[in-house]
Amino acid sequence: MKMDVLIGEEGGALVCTLRGRLDTPASQEVMKAVQPLLEQADREIILDCRDLEYISSSGLRILLMLRKETGRKGGRLVIRGIREAIRQVFLMTGFYNLFEIREA
Amino acid sequence: MMEDYGLDLHGRMILEEFRELEPVLFKMKDTVLSLIRKDIADKGLMVTATEARVKQEQSLAGKLERKGSKYATAEDITDLLGVRVITFYSDDVDKIAAMVENLFDIDRENSVDKRKMHHLDSFGYNSLHYICRIPAAVCSDPDCPRMNEIPFEIQIRTALQHVWATLYHDSGYKSGVEIPVGYLRDMNRLAGMLELVDEQFCRIRTGINDYRRRVQALVADGCLEEVELDGDTFKSYLAMQPFDHLNRRIAALNQAEIQDVSLQKFLPVLRGLGMKTLGDVDRMVKECSEDAYRLAAYQLGVTDIDIITSTVAPQNLCLVYVLRKGVGRAGLKYVFDTLNGESAGNEALSEMVYAQAEEMKMIE
Repeated sequence: MKMDVLIGEEGGALVCTLRGRLDTPASQEVMKAVQPLLEQADREIILDCRDLEYISSSGLRILLMLRKETGRKGGRLVIRGIREAIRQVFLMTGFYNLFEIREA
Repeated sequence: MMEDYGLDLHGRMILEEFRELEPVLFKMKDTVLSLIRKDIADKGLMVTATEARVKQEQSLAGKLERKGSKYATAEDITDLLGVRVITFYSDDVDKIAAMVENLFDIDRENSVDKRKMHHLDSFGYNSLHYICRIPAAVCSDPDCPRMNEIPFEIQIRTALQHVWATLYHDSGYKSGVEIPVGYLRDMNRLAGMLELVDEQFCRIRTGINDYRRRVQALVADGCLEEVELDGDTFKSYLAMQPFDHLNRRIAALNQAEIQDVSLQKFLPVLRGLGMKTLGDVDRMVKECSEDAYRLAAYQLGVTDIDIITSTVAPQNLCLVYVLRKGVGRAGLKYVFDTLNGESAGNEALSEMVYAQAEEMKMIE
């Protein structure tokens, strides 16, 4: 399945919806697509992961970069709705302890 | 036509001199502030404020009207440029004073340590005043040689002394109206109380620093059983990198990189698990490391994920610890709830880990 990235607004926050498989080939495109988020990292950014089916190490690095940038610029990063497969990856990598995760 | 504020001829001459000096004074203000601020930052000192002002013309006119005959020239007025450093602690007043003595030429004859001026039975305006000049060796400008000649004043005081001095000032010591003795006595009683508070703050800071040094020594000597588990001691313990070995073993499974993040959030988890000393934490690390590694290998070994965070080792140690204690899913959920806040997702995580532990025969 192709990876889709949609960016919109929701009650003052930027919402980035990730759909599909964030594998290594897709991560380059995703990296480009999230540039607007990096530029506005002083805001609240919600990563909607309800339809994210898979995440590779490259995808995790993109999340880390967003975390770093929001931390640096005084913004806030929230991950909304993660599937069990992603939850498992977050658990084994310790990413679960880094992010504010909101259940959908 | 320039305002002369009704001054006599002598006063008007000094005022005119001041007007000519003003650009030099502003240049000196920037130079002095930047020298002091840089030195404070270099020495790692913390102050509440470093401020400076060039005397306002109207204020100078008032001074000349009151005691103009005291001054032969404008340069005899030593506070045309006034600089103030306000510290948190009274101990730091002496540190800043030493720094100022090092930076500038001090006019000892006209500098006053008002802290030492009080009689045994009096309190009041405690502040250190230096009359200084900028030495040419520190900063000079061929276009502005006078910046090394004009004296300026530096006041150093604590935040509490500053509050007192400001209120005392506002209450009218400059207004010419004599304050009734009763009020003066109340102000001085307050000064005495603030002096005690300043001293107490210093004593507390010294006490905390001594405690930290003692704890660091105990941690360094490995006497962990004697060290109570709290925010400070856990920080000292983390400085020994107690989870690094396990994190590196886990990372080696997939040749993963380790993202270092703060582990301070594990403190409430460890305390909640009943650990009272660093010895308790260290025992958990020793006794649970092998199973914590096995759990990580079970989870990561079948993937090609090559990035983990430094929270993996302490997280897995806590999970194994609660499983060994026989607290089951509730214990696992407690760990996740405490680490990341309560959420329904933590229940799913607990189920996941419990099922893995069962499969690995980690649970009897």
